Amino acid sequence: MICKKIVELLPRFIENDFSKEEYAEIARHLEECERCKKEYEAMKKLIDRLETMPLLNVPKSFKESVMKSLKDLKDKNDG
Amino acid sequence: MKQQEFLTDIEIVEKVKKGDKDSFSLLVERYQKGLINLLFPLLRNYEEAIELCQEVFLKVYSHLDQYDSHYKFSTWIYRIANNLAIDHLRKGTPKIDSIDEKDEDEESKIEIESNDLSPQERLEKKIMEKEILTAISSLDTLSRELIILRHIHFRSYEEMAKITNLPVGTVKNKIFRARKELMKKLEKVK
Ligand SMILES: [Zn+2]
Repeated sequence: MICKKIVELLPRFIENDFSKEEYAEIARHLEECERCKKEYEAMKKLIDRLETMPLLNVPKSFKESVMKSLKDLKDKNDG
Repeated sequence: MKQQEFLTDIEIVEKVKKGDKDSFSLLVERYQKGLINLLFPLLRNYEEAIELCQEVFLKVYSHLDQYDSHYKFSTWIYRIANNLAIDHLRKGTPKIDSIDEKDEDEESKIEIESNDLSPQERLEKKIMEKEILTAISSLDTLSRELIILRHIHFRSYEEMAKITNLPVGTVKNKIFRARKELMKKLEKVK
């Protein structure tokens, strides 16, 4: 069944990892098929959400603490 | 002399190798945020991610002479982080931060953003983000890494292949499958 195949190909389609012809063929199907289009939109939305997730920060003291443990490491090696 | 902030990673590495150890802090500054946002979604535990992040920098520092400057420094450091995270995950049962945990600290860990959203929208967004993180953490380790590298860190397939030590084709197949799986898991949540 073509829809099943199209849905399989969606993750690749989203990144345009296809030849021009293949891409056009899938795009044509999406224009005509409501169900596949919904699937496509849901996947795009998921990726969009992933890519706009807020980033975490490290604690303010992080850099100092790394540099301190480097020093300790060095002292151990020297001593 | 070039201002510090305009030094390339490789120039900094050279300085450190020549004995200017303090310059290593420039690399920490540059990569701490990237690494925590690789390690946290992998481990789902902030404290452990911070600890491991520190370990990554120690390992980078002590293996700096093995760094091959034909590679991007970022690829190398991500690769080290990736390997340490896998070891860590193999070792023990993960202590996943509770999803419902009302963590007052959390606000300060997360960049302030989306001020234009209403409180209701912010709450919904937060819930959605947690659901996505939970869905990611239920994937197998490799799929999880690839999703994070691609969609949180915007790495190219070539870089992802170098970081995970896999052929580009495998990386692509695996991430395409992982995306579908993620969709399925999130559908179940709804
Ligand atoms: Zn269809």
